[in-house]
Amino acid sequence: MLLKTIAAGVLALALGTVAHAEDALERVKAAGVLKVGTETAFAPFDFIDAGDHAGMNIDVFGAIGEALGVKIEWVTLPWDGVLPGLESGKFDMVAGPATITKARMERYRWSVPVAEATVALLKKAGDEEITKPEDIAGKTVGSGKATAQLAQLLEFAKTLPEPIETKEYVSFNEAYADLAAGRVVAVANSFPNIAYVAQQRPETFELVEPPFGAKTYFGYPGRKDPEYKTLMDAVDAAILAMKQDGRLAEFQKKWFGITFETPDAPLTDAAF
Amino acid sequence: MGAAMKFDFSLILASAPDILRGIGVTLFIWVVCVALGLALGFLIAVARRYGGRVANAVLFVPVEVIRGTPFLVQVFLLYYGGPLIGLSLDNLPAGIIALSVYAAAYYSELWRAGFDAIPKGHLEAADCVGMGPVQTMTRIMLPEMTTLILPAMVNMTILMLKETAILSIISVPELTLTVSALGTQNYAFVESFTVLALIYWALVEACGGAGRWAERRLAKYRFA
Amino acid sequence: MSWKLFLLLLEAARLTVILSVVSIGVIGFLLATGVCAANMSQNRFARGAGWLFVSFFRGTPLLVQLLLIYYLLPSIGLDVPSEVAAVAGMSLCTAAYQAEIMRGGFAAVPTGLVEAADMAGMSRLTTFRRIRLPIAFKLTLPGLINEWIMMLKSSSLVSVVGVVELTRMAQDLAASTYRPLELYAAAGFIYLCISIVVALVGRGLEARLSWGRL
Repeated sequence: MLLKTIAAGVLALALGTVAHAEDALERVKAAGVLKVGTETAFAPFDFIDAGDHAGMNIDVFGAIGEALGVKIEWVTLPWDGVLPGLESGKFDMVAGPATITKARMERYRWSVPVAEATVALLKKAGDEEITKPEDIAGKTVGSGKATAQLAQLLEFAKTLPEPIETKEYVSFNEAYADLAAGRVVAVANSFPNIAYVAQQRPETFELVEPPFGAKTYFGYPGRKDPEYKTLMDAVDAAILAMKQDGRLAEFQKKWFGITFETPDAPLTDAAF
Repeated sequence: MGAAMKFDFSLILASAPDILRGIGVTLFIWVVCVALGLALGFLIAVARRYGGRVANAVLFVPVEVIRGTPFLVQVFLLYYGGPLIGLSLDNLPAGIIALSVYAAAYYSELWRAGFDAIPKGHLEAADCVGMGPVQTMTRIMLPEMTTLILPAMVNMTILMLKETAILSIISVPELTLTVSALGTQNYAFVESFTVLALIYWALVEACGGAGRWAERRLAKYRFA
Repeated sequence: MSWKLFLLLLEAARLTVILSVVSIGVIGFLLATGVCAANMSQNRFARGAGWLFVSFFRGTPLLVQLLLIYYLLPSIGLDVPSEVAAVAGMSLCTAAYQAEIMRGGFAAVPTGLVEAADMAGMSRLTTFRRIRLPIAFKLTLPGLINEWIMMLKSSSLVSVVGVVELTRMAQDLAASTYRPLELYAAAGFIYLCISIVVALVGRGLEARLSWGRL
């Protein structure tokens, strides 16, 4: 019995590549379902709003599903589990979104950008000492551990007259909590996210404008494997159609209060 | 398994110094918190048993609250909520205090079980041969109850090792935080889980081995 | 914090309770008795298997076990749904701990009592049923209750396989309302209520079992 199970496992492993070689778009269309992995702690892109799954992702993927003629099935995981889930085939692509970087472009196939990801600072409401990004020189700033936003903060810090100290957190939500607790003077994260934080809790947090450093973009990661190419191409076409008829700008306006200028094609290079 | 997912430990191994530092931090916190927790837990158990009804009632509430709520919540409230009431601790002291108190609450219940398990006859006998309370404690109760509760103590100590991983939420650079960040940076997810599993397994086996050794050493105190 | 948010937490707590009862109280407990029996058996193969089980599932973090079940099993053709992965991970992990606690309980049964039963002509089965089992049960109860409460709280880790239980719901809500302190405190309060119920049941059992007093 045990041996049989093991043998079946090994066989499945050997045949794994064959099974996966089926075209992803055809498979998704045949099933009528696009499985999307995401994290629901990433407002305003993806969050639980008074019990309901809400955010820009719901709107964008709703439109993608319409274009493909399929339903969207959400698989919600902590961010740590989302990319491993994509790689182990738990779902067809990832929402998120995530900052498109050089290293990540080597690992994943990215959709066309859906929003700007350029980094800005969040400070405590009424903090007069920080009125522009350069004011963090010589101070302690928080960001997420092993994130693209942290990398952008460190890049920016090199241009400052005095070095900064960074504190790294498992997620940005702890960084915000520590900003409220007063251990850091600012948190560096992508502009759309912290603009939303400041808007939600104006009595505690305030946005420091303008964003700094190189322009970066948010996109949806998918797999690079050849059988996923048609699916990701179809997703790109759907997003570009949204962009052209103004729906993407409408979604941005709805969730961020502003619109972004995003490129018309998948990125071929990233700022860093 | 897709083409993107294959085992490649070289990326993880290249970061061996970071991993070793993570192991060091985890070991340090574990040993300190278990030692403090055992001692504090023993004091709590003694106070609740011999301190009269008042001491028992006063200690009952904090012990049950600490045992009944997740460690994650306690650490989060202490570290991020503390500054609101003027208690601003650094992450390592906050983590050590929180975990020691958490451990003490659990250990105190095990000590209690140990006290309960000692046959009344042995205590009466100690009394008859003229042993004082301290002597009865050190020569009769502690040796006897330690043999009884040792397996549960070892279990709890192992659980405390796992709880040290929660300290990542307050950015203590322990093993889980270090290795999972390496996994994220290098997209070496499966490798990083596997490395974590192997390291924790080795630490737990070392602890279990020490427990079995102690069980054998203390077997002579087994009564009946 | 609004009532609406608290009700959402309660809703998620229901899932935590269901998962915990099924995994810890039922499947985990039954598995543990089996593993404990294997560990105490005369059969070397059974003892070895029991040792390996306890060593692995006690030795590696539950988080890692869940990740392996959820992300690695699909690669050998076993696609495990989130809920199944959660129950499997929790049951296996708690079984290892509970089996060790039970072993400790049996080891602590005074040999004199077993010898006395033997002298009185009790068969091995009767000795087990009337002497060793009840006394071991009494001795292990505090440890088992400790473990049930610990595991109840560890159930928060199953969010990593996509199950939104109490802790994850608190984290999600904290991430959209940016009020983590209130939400964590509320989640802590709900866990406390659940564990008080578990502890009270345990105390009640302990009191009922006063016959096991040595």
